[in-house]
Amino acid sequence: MGLVSAYNLRSMIVRKATAAMTAGGIAMVVAVFVMTLAIAQGFRATLVASGSPGNAIVLRKGATSETVSAVLRTDVPILESLPQVARGADGRALASPELVVIISLPRVTDNQPANVPVRGVGLKAFDLRDRLTFVEGRRFAPGTREINVGRLATGRFKGLSLGSDVRFGGNTWKVVGVFTADDAAFESEVWGDVDLMQPAFQRSDYQSMTVKLADPSMFDSFKAAVEGDPRLMLVPQREQDYYAEQSRPVTTLISVFGTFVTLILSIGAMAGAMNTMYAAVAYRTREIGTLRALGFGRLRIVSAFLAESIVLAFFGGLAGCILALPVHGLSTGTTNFSSFSEVAFKFRITPPLLVGGVIFAMAMGAVGGLLPAIRAARIPVARALREI
Amino acid sequence: MKYLTLVLKSALRSKRRTALTIISVALAVFLFASLRAVLDGFNAGAEASSSTRIVTIRSTSLIFSMPTSHAETIRAVPGVRDLTWANWFGGIYKDQQHSFANFAIEPESYLRVYPEILLTPDERQAFLADRTGCIVGDGLARTNGFRVGDKVTLKVGIPTYGTQDYDFTIRGIYRAGSGAVDNQSMMFHWKYADERSVVKGQLGWIVAQIASPEQEPQIAGTIDEKFANSPYETKTDTEKQFASSFVSMFGNLNLLLGSIAIAVVIATLFVAGNTMAMSVRERTTEIAVMRTLGFPGGTIFGLIAVEALLMSIVGGAVGVVLARVVVNPHVIPSGGFIPEVSVNDLNVAIGLALSAFIGIVAGLIPATLASRLKIVDALRRVA
Repeated sequence: MGLVSAYNLRSMIVRKATAAMTAGGIAMVVAVFVMTLAIAQGFRATLVASGSPGNAIVLRKGATSETVSAVLRTDVPILESLPQVARGADGRALASPELVVIISLPRVTDNQPANVPVRGVGLKAFDLRDRLTFVEGRRFAPGTREINVGRLATGRFKGLSLGSDVRFGGNTWKVVGVFTADDAAFESEVWGDVDLMQPAFQRSDYQSMTVKLADPSMFDSFKAAVEGDPRLMLVPQREQDYYAEQSRPVTTLISVFGTFVTLILSIGAMAGAMNTMYAAVAYRTREIGTLRALGFGRLRIVSAFLAESIVLAFFGGLAGCILALPVHGLSTGTTNFSSFSEVAFKFRITPPLLVGGVIFAMAMGAVGGLLPAIRAARIPVARALREI
Repeated sequence: MKYLTLVLKSALRSKRRTALTIISVALAVFLFASLRAVLDGFNAGAEASSSTRIVTIRSTSLIFSMPTSHAETIRAVPGVRDLTWANWFGGIYKDQQHSFANFAIEPESYLRVYPEILLTPDERQAFLADRTGCIVGDGLARTNGFRVGDKVTLKVGIPTYGTQDYDFTIRGIYRAGSGAVDNQSMMFHWKYADERSVVKGQLGWIVAQIASPEQEPQIAGTIDEKFANSPYETKTDTEKQFASSFVSMFGNLNLLLGSIAIAVVIATLFVAGNTMAMSVRERTTEIAVMRTLGFPGGTIFGLIAVEALLMSIVGGAVGVVLARVVVNPHVIPSGGFIPEVSVNDLNVAIGLALSAFIGIVAGLIPATLASRLKIVDALRRVA
């Protein structure tokens, strides 16, 4: 096996132009594969990062997202008094009744109006989302028309930089702080005091209530308590489950699209690999005859040529991954159709995705190389040796 | 022309290789034409929009509504000839996956302002006469197997419309007269939804018909001024801007699909160029013999280049035919938010041009090498 492998590798180097072009074709396919799935992964990661394991979000029965949910004012004290809800140092429940509305602001890139989510939050909201940290400025002061803006939103929409005044809901609001939240969806949002947001948007109720559980394992008893209370028409969900579900439609759409495109494209690349390998076999007919005459069996010839094709594709796959890498971390945005608002996220290329890309390339090499390798093994020894 | 047989003979010298190359070019052109068709589908609304229709929405965002009195105020603005309104109902059919766009419209005026919604006179009458009637686009009807007379039930998606399910009877299946109207939606009487709304008399957006496109900035300005500093401020834009803001919601589609298209073309160039290079290398001795017989370098160049072009264009033709057959509304149902797509003549032409481009570029280097071949070296070489 050792001899044949080294022989194949060296032949590849001899025919480097052809080999490089074949690998190049495969590289492009892998690059498209990695980039499109990086979008799906980035979007999903952004939404999933929005949920913490110890939090639960409470929505109206049957509501699929915050936008179509409603939590009554009178529900809030009932929820806050449940024993499963954690308490802060001041003895008050770590819970935030919230209101999400969507305002329209021009995007920086194309000046088109985009739907920006504005979240009115309760006083304890910052204690619930402990990964939220301020990069500029400070928290808004309760009872004032001050707002905080996610870092991705400041860059993406016009007029949201620190210190600027923004007009929406019939009032003027001042940006006093910019925060990050580990790339979570909150970074695309504008936050302000819920008690001032309600009159501004003519709402009398809340849309959701997020609570920190005293212990993550108490979720089931919390759920039972909420659903068992006849006064509440509400259902709690683990925050992480809720956000994962929110990301599903867009993630599925992008993954299906990306897979469809790369599958079609890969057929073309496999045709290219097949061409190259057939040519490689044809050039080396005499050499193959010699190897066979020396006693190398058919199986070894097949596996050697198959290996050559796979190694070629492997290098193509590596090149494709390297081509795709620069998009990692680039931020872009799309509308999350579950909430009808724009979410900024980053392309996310993870090691498993890269490994997937390389395996995909090797599979292309294997399929493309199989028939030529079988042909190589089938060449009659006598005729092969006679060939010039 | 006299060389055509020779070109064909060389192209068919290795049938398998030629076939594989044609397949890879065909798939590339297929992908390219389909991606363009998808992009066209998204942009169709903005492209075909009317310049004499202006849309007024709440300045905060489309999801907020405004009172019916706004319609009367706008009607009185000079230059406004007619108007209608609609609400995004957001009802859910079966479940989220099967859902489609549904609007509550003011039926008579909406059909007047949007003559692109094509209904037979009978269907139109039946729809206007039935308060719980609805009309659905022919694309949507095809996907869901809707027929005139069918009952459709929508669950409430937005809490302001109450909690009870809404039952409708399909009174008509409309065709879209232009891209300004999509054929994937359902529309029904605004009154039906309004009766059950928690807050009555709310309009999502108002579409006004104006006399001439030039008046648009002035009329839009007048409308927005009238509502400035009221609790329901508005923003008025052309229908085109309204439609393109929906397209931009998906993110930078042009960039995404554009980069994929470029990758497709480069990958195919690699494959096709490689094939031609291999085929030329194989024929080194032959070419040397031809040169010895007196064929000038230019002719050799032409022969190889035409061979590459021919192979590529055949692939391109296969690709566009495939795209025409596969990418049309009868094969690919485009439910929900994605508009209906089909490959038009322009996409076919661009696909063929692309295959020609691939052929020329792929043939260039091998043809140049072949025409510059040193006869002595080539004849001596054993390959």
